Formats: sequence, structure tokens, C-alpha cells
Amino acid sequence: MRNTFSPSPLRGEGEKVWQKKIMTETANETNFYRKINSTSAYRRLMIAYYFMMKHPNWFGKKVAWITSGGPVEPLYAMGVLPFYPENYGAMCGAFRMSVSLCEAAEHKGYSHDLCSYALTDIGSSFTGKGPLGRLPKPDFLVCCNNICGTVIKWYEVQARAFNVPVFFFDTPFIYDEIEDHTLKYVQDQMKEYISFLEKQLKHPFSEKRFQKVCSRSFEAVNLWKEILEMARRHPAPLAAFDAFIHMAPVVTLRGTPWAVRYYKKLKKEMEQRVRQGVGAFAHEEIRLVWDNIPIWYDIRNLSKLLSSQGAVLVADTYTSAWALDQLDLAQPLMNGLAGAYATIHLNRGFEYRVQKMASLIQKYDAHGFIMHSNRSCKPYSLGQYDLKQEVTRLTGKPGLIIEADHTDSRSYAPEEVEKQIRIFLDIIKTK
Amino acid sequence: MNKETSLLKILKEFETITSKGYREIASFLPKDRVPFGFFCPYVPEELIHAAGALPFRLMGTAIKMSHAQAHLPTNCCHLVKSSLESLLQGELDFLKGIIFSHSCDAMQGLADIWALQKRIPLQFNLMIASRLNSEPSRIYLRSEIERFKNFLESNVGKITPQDLKASIRLFNRIREKVAEIYARRPKWYREISGSDFARIIRAGYLMDRRRYLELLDEFLNVLPETPEGTEDSVPVYLAGNMTHDAPYFSYIEEAGAVIVQDDLCSGTRFLRLMVPEDIDPMEGLTNRYFTSFVCPNKHQGAHAHAETLLGEVQKSGAKGVIFLLYKYCESHFFDYPDLKQALESKGIPTLLLEVEDPSFSVGQLKTRIQAFIEMLSPI
Repeated sequence: MRNTFSPSPLRGEGEKVWQKKIMTETANETNFYRKINSTSAYRRLMIAYYFMMKHPNWFGKKVAWITSGGPVEPLYAMGVLPFYPENYGAMCGAFRMSVSLCEAAEHKGYSHDLCSYALTDIGSSFTGKGPLGRLPKPDFLVCCNNICGTVIKWYEVQARAFNVPVFFFDTPFIYDEIEDHTLKYVQDQMKEYISFLEKQLKHPFSEKRFQKVCSRSFEAVNLWKEILEMARRHPAPLAAFDAFIHMAPVVTLRGTPWAVRYYKKLKKEMEQRVRQGVGAFAHEEIRLVWDNIPIWYDIRNLSKLLSSQGAVLVADTYTSAWALDQLDLAQPLMNGLAGAYATIHLNRGFEYRVQKMASLIQKYDAHGFIMHSNRSCKPYSLGQYDLKQEVTRLTGKPGLIIEADHTDSRSYAPEEVEKQIRIFLDIIKTK
Repeated sequence: MNKETSLLKILKEFETITSKGYREIASFLPKDRVPFGFFCPYVPEELIHAAGALPFRLMGTAIKMSHAQAHLPTNCCHLVKSSLESLLQGELDFLKGIIFSHSCDAMQGLADIWALQKRIPLQFNLMIASRLNSEPSRIYLRSEIERFKNFLESNVGKITPQDLKASIRLFNRIREKVAEIYARRPKWYREISGSDFARIIRAGYLMDRRRYLELLDEFLNVLPETPEGTEDSVPVYLAGNMTHDAPYFSYIEEAGAVIVQDDLCSGTRFLRLMVPEDIDPMEGLTNRYFTSFVCPNKHQGAHAHAETLLGEVQKSGAKGVIFLLYKYCESHFFDYPDLKQALESKGIPTLLLEVEDPSFSVGQLKTRIQAFIEMLSPI
């Protein structure tokens, strides 16, 4: 038995071979996985994105490396191509190339204990290896710490390595509510960010173009939100494992018409599934919520394991982090955007995380939750033991913590995790 | 009492305060000031003191872990793990409050976990900007320090401008005296052993600060006018975290080296926090964090750490640099390869010691230090 889900966009196999493979695999399953038809459009889109990224000069573009939670809209408004090392790290993980790239970075003196996304990126820069080969040199870097403090150091390393300027967008962590002076601070930095871009690109910022980009960005984000929300239905038309893959355009291409077009297509397909009452899997007995970044190199096996037990991940805290929940459109655009970026999931304290998990469990009618204690992501993983207790207290639903690393498989014991998951699912079934 | 006896008496007082566990220390603290714990030099101790409280720095202890693992993943540094363990074992019940300044991801998570335990009556999370090289961050930080002042005034006592100025003067004088000890150490290392020096520095974060200043004054007065030491020790520079633990200093000096300068969070980085006394005190407390490089957790430009370290090492005359880093400290470990490269390209050899619990793998640590010092020693 085997299930499959959306493939990585740059597989070596041709489309026909791939589709044949899917059909063979799905036919053999005891828990049938329904391939998302929009996946081929997704693959074409991401191939086009990475093609441009690999050859920016052909398109007369400058390239900025940016953190996954950074405000990308001003970059698109200024005609810059944003490259996401974290997204690329996830791709390296899914292609199982991270370990050798991490080892290359460790060989240069970087500690094994550092974030494996960072080590993968640094190793890839040193060796020129990875799914895309040697990446073009960035023209400048944009670092926003709303996802973690690691990126500060990581981007400093790369700023020195490439000898390029870095703009650091500081979003102070919010334990309770955002303070007025904190909001003012991030809004002021938005102005600095624009000045930085004008200086780097030597052309003025166009408010009109920015508004257009933002409008596309918000449309893509809203479509994405609506798609994720559809998994509230029984059965869920898409699983979180699908969302982990199909989130790539909302991260990398939000602000472009391509992301909007793609999510409209995906939404249409999901709506059809809802109308027909079909789910991502034929058999959906247990509904679960996932917390933390996926284990990129083992998504396939985990999905297979869960579905074999009739379990489906229907929601997660990770893919919904790009929903810009706190966007205040009553404010001037720049200020509203600054506020939204300052208040994303990973920049919020314990109480917010508890409420978010509890709310996902309730909204998606989940039977339990799995938390990935991710060795490479301290902001996500610290507090999970207490979080698990508190969420169970509030919802009455059991939780499981599994230990791994998002891209470095050296810190992962799959058999141990499989055993834990089987026991956990048995507990849920007996309840 | 002759100078030698006085010197021993002063050193004994430092040893007494630094050799106690947290629970025992409580009885040595001044009775007229409620103790407030903190971790990081980004917490303006001057404000805590001006409010009438005692700033009490948590610097990690060699405590046996039995509770912290239930709350923390394994890849947190010793400071984070041992501090939470101390809290959970009730070692810190004497604290009236705890101040977290936003430094790293592990500390960020610890602040949340700490608050859940509800063992210490007050907690304040001081959100220091992570970027310390721009006007918007200076304005933001000033507001955040004002918020901290309001918290102290609501929970401890009114802070008058006079009180704050007096507090700033007191801490500046302490920094001057400590800087003097640092300056004399390379030659007076026979009189001020490495372990005594570490205790002197550590005591300054735990005890009544007025008494500390008195002791520093007395200490400098009773030091002999000319040092006894011969210049046969290898001068080394110590870089890293908050590791003013006597054993590390002993291991290095027993191997035949003298630590002529350091870049430790509990050491010279504290000395960079002098506050101008002729300007508005709140302005002074804010601006000092922008004028020098204090911690790799904060962004002050991609080259700030290397430039500061390289300059300080060259000025110190050290023949080598020992990096004494907490295992799992991301900020230091991200910078380390470039720092090592920058130093070695100037002909300055380096040694990396990755440490967890201070008592961990002592034999191995000593061997590596010995080998490094031998490599630096003249044949």
C-alpha cells in the first residue's frame, strides 16, 4: 500500500511517466489517495519561477534573497525577483540532498547544532550543489526576524560571503498584545525598507504599482485561506501534506498574477471535491492537526503511515502562517502590511499558540494533534511540551510529540516515530 | 591588618558569595532591596537599582537536571536549562521578579515557559530591538526602556531622576574599577589568580552593588605596588558567552597561560555599557546600546562582531584566542567560522571549547587547553 501526494516541481521524470507512476501507485492502495489535478499547473509554475531565479539576467532582473516571513510585496513592486533560501532548503530536504549540504557547511566550521535550513543554504553556496545547482549571486538580502532569530545570523553570514548589503526588518516578538510603539517601529522600518530598495535599484518606488502588487498578494492569501478552510469538510478535500507542497506559490509568488491564477484553479478543484463529497483519501477515520514545519524528507512515508490507519492531517499551524490574519485594511496600505507581518503566528507568544491550536482542532473537528519537536526550529519547538498539555486540557483531545528535524535526516529515527504514531492512533481509536 | 591579610579577606568575601547555590545566597543579600533576577546585559541594571531593588544575574549553575527536560528540548544551552531547573527546584523562590530581555530564540521560549510555572511573583519581558543601528530602533528602544521603568515604578518604587543618576554613577564607578582590575591582571596574575578573578567578576552580579564597589576599591588599594609575576605565561584572549566560572579560568592558567582580556558577556562586554553622566539618563541608557557591539544576537551590521573582536584581540597582545562557547548557542556558532578565519588570517591561532555543564568532560577540556597553550609557548 502506498499513497502519494504532490510531487516536487523539478523531478527528473517526465510528466507522462510521472502520471503513469501515480496511477499505478494509487491503484494499489488500500486507502486511495486522490491526486490533485492542479499539481501539473503547480509544477509548471514553480519550474518557471526557479527558471527565472536561475537566470535573472535573461529577464533583466535583480535578485534579493528574503526570509520566508519577510514583506515581499515591495520587492515585486520594484521588479525584483525574490529568492527564498528556506523554501529552497525545504526542496533540498524533499530531494534528500540536505545532509550532504549540511555536512559541507560543517566541514567549513559551522556547528551541526545550527538550523539545517541555514546549513543547507550555506553548504549549497560553498559547493554550488543542490537541486538547482549553483545559485546566482544575490544583489542584496532582506531579513525579517518575525519567524526566528536564526535568520539574523544566517543572513549576516551570507551578506559577508557574497559581499552584498542586507536590510534587516526587525519585528519584536509579541508575548501578549502588540504595543503602540512596536507597531510604530515596524511601520517606520517599512519606510526605511523602501528607501533601501530605491538606493539599491536606483529607481523610485511606485505607490501605484505597490498597490497593485498588494492587491494580488491579498487575493492570493485569501484564496489560500479559503482553500485551507475547505479541509473543515468531512471528508477533507485536501490534506495538510498537500498544503505543505501547494503552499510554495503563496510563499514565493504572492503579489504576482500567477499565484492568484494558480490558487483560483486549485480552489475550483477543491470546491468540486467538496460538491462531490470526496476527500483527499478514500478512507478518513481520524482527523489530526499538525504543528511545526514538515519533516520534508519523510512526508511520503508519514503520509503513508497515517493513511494506512485511516488518519488524515486536516490542518496545520505552518501553512496557515501565510494567511496574514491581522491585516488591517482600514490603515494606509504600508502600515497595515507592516502590522500584519509583525503579528504572524511564529512571532506570537504561548497563549496565542494555544488558542490557535485549540481553535484549529475545534474548527476542523480533529480527534487529536501531532507536534513535530523540530531540532532546527527553536521558536516553534520550545514550549511544545507545555503547549501539548494546555491544548489537551482545553480541547480534551490527545496530542503526540515526535522528534525530528525539518531537513536533516541525521536527527530522525523513523522506526521510533512510526511506533509512537501507531500507538497514538490506537489510543484515539479506542476513545 | 597588613595588605596581604586584607587581600585574602576581600577574596574570601567574593568566594563566599560565589560559592553558594542560589537558595543559600538569599541570606547574604541586602535586606532593604528586593531581588530581581535577570540574564543579560541588555537589562538596564541601573533602573532596577534606582527603583530600590537588587539586580541579581542568573549565570547558570552546575545543578543536576531532573525537571527541566519535561519542558525543554535537549538542544538548549546550559544557561537556559540550568536556570529553568533552578526555578523548578525552588532555588529561585527568593526572587521577587524576573526580567527577560529578548536575546535569542531559546530565551524567547524560556520566558513563556517560565511564566507558566507561576513561581516568581513578577515577570517583565523587555523587548530589546534586535537591530541596533538605526534611528527607528533607537526611538523604539527608548520607549521600551520607558515601559520597563513604568513597570518598576508600579511594582517596586518611584524612580526619581536623582535616584537614576546616582544609580548610573554607581554602575559607572563599578565598571571603572573592574576595568582597572582587567588592566592590571596581565602583570598581577600571581596576586589575582584566574579563579579569583572569575569570582570577583561573578560576585558583581549577585551582591549589593555599593558593597561590591567598596570591595573593589579596597582590593585595588591592597594590591602590591609592583607585581610579583614574571612574564613567563602565554597571553591569551577568551571569547564567548557568560562563562565567568572559576574552573575555566583555572584550567587555562594552570596550563601556563594568562587571560589578558576577554570578550565574555559577563566580562568586558559589560564594561562597554558606560553611560554618559551629563545627559538625560534615559537617553544615556538607550544610546549606550548603539555605541558599541555588545552581543552577536543583535544586528549592528554584518561585520560588527569580527571588527570588534579583531581590534580588541590585537590591542590585548594575546598570542591566541580561546572560544569558550555554550553548546547550542546559535548566535556565537554562526559567527565562529568567520571569526576564526579573520583571526587566523592575522596569524592569531584559535581554540574552540564547546561547553555544557561547567563540570562536564573536565579531563578532555584540560588536555585540549594544555595542547593549545603548548603550541603558543616559545620553544
